[in-house]
Amino acid sequence: MQRRYRTIADLKQHESALAIAVTDPALAGKLTAMGVLPGTLIELVRPAPFGNAFYIKVDGIRLALREEEAACILLEL
Amino acid sequence: MSDSGKSFKIALLGNPNSGKSTVFNQLTGLRQKTGNFPGVTVDIKEGRLRFPSGLEARLIDLPGTYSLYPTSSDEKIVTAVLTNPADPFYPDALVYIADVTHLDKHMLLFTQLLDLGLPLLLALNMSDSAAEQGIKVNTARLVAQFRIPVISISGRTGENIQKLLHELEKLIRNEPDAAAGSEMVFYPLREQEKQVVDAVRHNLPIDNAYCALLLAHHHGWLPFLKKQERETLSAIVETKDFQSLRAQVDETLDRYDRFTPIVRKTIQQPFVSGGTTTDHIDAVLTHRLFGPLIFFGVMLMVFMAIFFGYDTTGGWVENATGILVDAVGNNMADNWLSSLLVKGVLPGLQGVLVFVPQIALLFLLISILEEVGYMARAVFIFDKTMRRFGMNGRSIVALIGGGACAVPAIMGTRTISNWKERLITVMVTPFISCSARIPVYLVLIPVALPLSTWWTKALIFGGMYFFGLGAALGAAYVFKKILRTSDPSFLALELPEYRMPHWKNVWLTVWEKVKAFVAGAGKIIFMISIALWILGNSGPDGALDNAESRIRAEMSDSLTPEELNDRVAAKRLEASYAGIIGKSIEPAIRPLGYDWKIGIALLSSFAAREVFNGTMYTIYSLESVGAKEEEEASNQRPFERYGRLRQQMTDDRFENGDRVYTLATGISLLVFYALAMQCMSTLAVVRRETGNWKWPIFQFLFMSGLAYFFAWLVYTLLPKV
Repeated sequence: MQRRYRTIADLKQHESALAIAVTDPALAGKLTAMGVLPGTLIELVRPAPFGNAFYIKVDGIRLALREEEAACILLEL
Repeated sequence: MSDSGKSFKIALLGNPNSGKSTVFNQLTGLRQKTGNFPGVTVDIKEGRLRFPSGLEARLIDLPGTYSLYPTSSDEKIVTAVLTNPADPFYPDALVYIADVTHLDKHMLLFTQLLDLGLPLLLALNMSDSAAEQGIKVNTARLVAQFRIPVISISGRTGENIQKLLHELEKLIRNEPDAAAGSEMVFYPLREQEKQVVDAVRHNLPIDNAYCALLLAHHHGWLPFLKKQERETLSAIVETKDFQSLRAQVDETLDRYDRFTPIVRKTIQQPFVSGGTTTDHIDAVLTHRLFGPLIFFGVMLMVFMAIFFGYDTTGGWVENATGILVDAVGNNMADNWLSSLLVKGVLPGLQGVLVFVPQIALLFLLISILEEVGYMARAVFIFDKTMRRFGMNGRSIVALIGGGACAVPAIMGTRTISNWKERLITVMVTPFISCSARIPVYLVLIPVALPLSTWWTKALIFGGMYFFGLGAALGAAYVFKKILRTSDPSFLALELPEYRMPHWKNVWLTVWEKVKAFVAGAGKIIFMISIALWILGNSGPDGALDNAESRIRAEMSDSLTPEELNDRVAAKRLEASYAGIIGKSIEPAIRPLGYDWKIGIALLSSFAAREVFNGTMYTIYSLESVGAKEEEEASNQRPFERYGRLRQQMTDDRFENGDRVYTLATGISLLVFYALAMQCMSTLAVVRRETGNWKWPIFQFLFMSGLAYFFAWLVYTLLPKV
């Protein structure tokens, strides 16, 4: 079955996509407080040198997120 | 609110990276201290504010946080202080610092504070950057909207800081227009939240609705709640089926929906295309290959600076105390007081001061890296590596800091939200070779390898750092396998824009760390030196004098007066309580290749490892040359120092004629000093950070056990030559 969303892991470097939802409630509290909101444009700047984390940009704010943290941000196709 | 007699408390709040500490430093300068937060045992910075009118107030710098729904222990402090009017830090007024260049991301906590109903002032920080970027701010609109004072400031240039003080004074004097905002509610509670709040207010003496809601959300961990209150709150949450996490997210999103249009009307921002300077720098510094390489290069430079810094500055301190020792020696009668001063107090003082330049230098470099924004990148790069060892990317900051002194490094672990990751970081940081181990290594490496080249010695010296790092990571890996936790683990870290360091912040950090070291670790080193002097100068009835008269009778013909005096001092020490203790533990340390003299040094080093050299000078009765030699030290290359001491050690023999200091003993001692937990101040700070004695005791036992085992192992394996 086709997924109706992507995550940051699916983005190419410097590609952006609109966030549609933040799932995991425990992480959502933290991420929304830091400005990762449904409706914001998220850019993958680059993956971490040793993997496992992403450097992203959200409305001019730069964030480092782990794979699990990034995985709960659902992005538009 | 009246200003008669009572001191006002004003809390400074803001998101991380809002420039809050810069503003705090601008407002208080050197008039700040680090207090202890009761219950949670966490330090809070406090400073004294002086208003133009002469009125004074306490300014409390609360940790930076994004919201009143905290995830790490430093963020929890903010919620714990603001929901408890009985808290000694509970403020009379709040100053909220927002980064005006990212105002749309900095308003969440502000609107939460607004709902707490305390007098509040909004400071839009970084007005200088905003001007550079062409950002226009309509502060009048914000004033009209929130009915509170709003001021554009710049912590870095100091712009409008006086105006901030002026407005703040008006606010706490409760002048008519100032506190009007305290009545307004920004976030209207949903139906279920209303029910919860009503029930909380019915059962507990709380007035403010949002405060009641926060108690319901956080009843599980708020430290000030009594058992009965906790149960009441828990029952309310249960019966109303209040889903805390869900409600937090809903509230957060609702707040964003409400303030985003306001921010949009307030801020005029020109459209910027293309990458900024920060993007260009990060393309290199967080690059897949260059990022880690540059990090190791930077670390290498930091530790080279420490090593060579020790080399020069250590000599200065030794010279200065040498002059004092001479002054006391020449001007005081030769009695117990001058002996206590020359052999107890002054070496103790030197033991403290000798570390001050290194600690200052290392914290200078670390705080510059922190200030420019590089540390956050290191955390990002090494998160995966650290997690493999059960830690968090943030642990890298503690491990680096551990190279100076484990005490402040361990205090810095509060930003790690996961208890297990934080505990592992706290447990293994003392394995990193701190500056206190440098002088010990410098004496022991040439003793172990007297004939090797300078470069071999330097290589081994560097190897000791890798050995410590390896021990830290190995121990962390074992802990990872043993410990269990259900705490969520976060990276979620903001990577701030690169900036030139703000030097006032850097100097204040260095000043604060050095002060903390002198007051904390310094006090202990100082006291141990004195205790050691007492133990070394007293013994069972008449034992010391008997030993002295015996040696004088035997040797007076064959030795020069000076040699005789040194021999007398050595025999007196052997007969003293210190000697008795050293001899009684000799059987336990003999398997590691140590004799009773090293035993004394080991015992005294359990309080602070840097005591080793001083004790060795005393034991080998070299006080007569010790001061002189340390004076010369500043002119010598690192491994050529302490020549007489090393000579005495190398010549020393067991009763059966074997040499004490062989390659095996030397390396065994190096290994022991690298691994053993020999620092009371670290144990004390671990006790504070973990909340009980269980962890420091465990840490002491496992580190010392490991040291004993590996020291035994290398002594057994290496040739005794």
